Amino acid sequence: MIIDDSRAMRSILRRIVTGLDFETTEAEHGQAALDQMNAGVVPDVCLVDWNMPVMDGYTFITQVRANPEWRDVTLMMVTTESEQRNIVRALAAGAHEYVIKPFTPDAIVEKLSLLGLVPAETEQGAWA
Amino acid sequence: MNVLTFFEASPDEADAPTVDDLQAVTEDVWLALVGEDEVLVPRMVPPGTPFDATGVWSSSVTVSGGWAGVVTVELDEGVAQQLSARMLALPEGEPVADGDIADAVGELVNMVGGNVKSLMPGPSVLSLPAVAAGRAAFASDVAEVCRLDLAWRGAPVRICIHVPA
Repeated sequence: MIIDDSRAMRSILRRIVTGLDFETTEAEHGQAALDQMNAGVVPDVCLVDWNMPVMDGYTFITQVRANPEWRDVTLMMVTTESEQRNIVRALAAGAHEYVIKPFTPDAIVEKLSLLGLVPAETEQGAWA
Repeated sequence: MNVLTFFEASPDEADAPTVDDLQAVTEDVWLALVGEDEVLVPRMVPPGTPFDATGVWSSSVTVSGGWAGVVTVELDEGVAQQLSARMLALPEGEPVADGDIADAVGELVNMVGGNVKSLMPGPSVLSLPAVAAGRAAFASDVAEVCRLDLAWRGAPVRICIHVPA
């Protein structure tokens, strides 16, 4: 699930992860993502922006982690928010990985690989 | 014990990023969004010169907290359209809806502004982007402290930082 208020950024991330054979769904803010999850769309991994209207990414992470049924959902922040204290906050709240915009496709693939979500043979160039 | 904090930086260091900082941030963002094949080129524009595009898209974000400032991007309309098309992977020459341009230009300033924020003393908060079809307007109680004039495909791009006067 790609959660970002920018359609353009969702498009960029979608192209990267569909190149890795992920199926995607999208949400324009944290509340829309929670609504989908409550309706039964529970993804393997969420790519989460921080700075969004309605519900920001940090709040979304705390909400997901408050529900034991979603404990297997992997959460990866993809955001311009790069203050050390906020990175620590997000990781402490339950994010597994953190990518700072701007990023390269390689950075996303590398993080997904570290999380065990990308087979080694597709780590390079799959999105090209 | 002698503890160094952000607040011991000289006033100049604490006021605003340098033009070199802003250029590095902008080039990194542009590279990520557009790719390596067409880079931004610096332009020599005298201070006080109005942004010289006929059609303009502008966007800004505000940083508040440990550092306060406004980061603004102004783009020639054609640049804004082409940037949006690149970000959305639309075929070259396909018309781009205004809403898609606003979205892409907003994400551009979000990324530039977020990285500017990371250069300055914190903790700070980044606003959501404000986007307009037209020139940016600035409040009377802010002063420009950093301006970067660039060109992409021969058309102008301007990035500015304003801080409270």
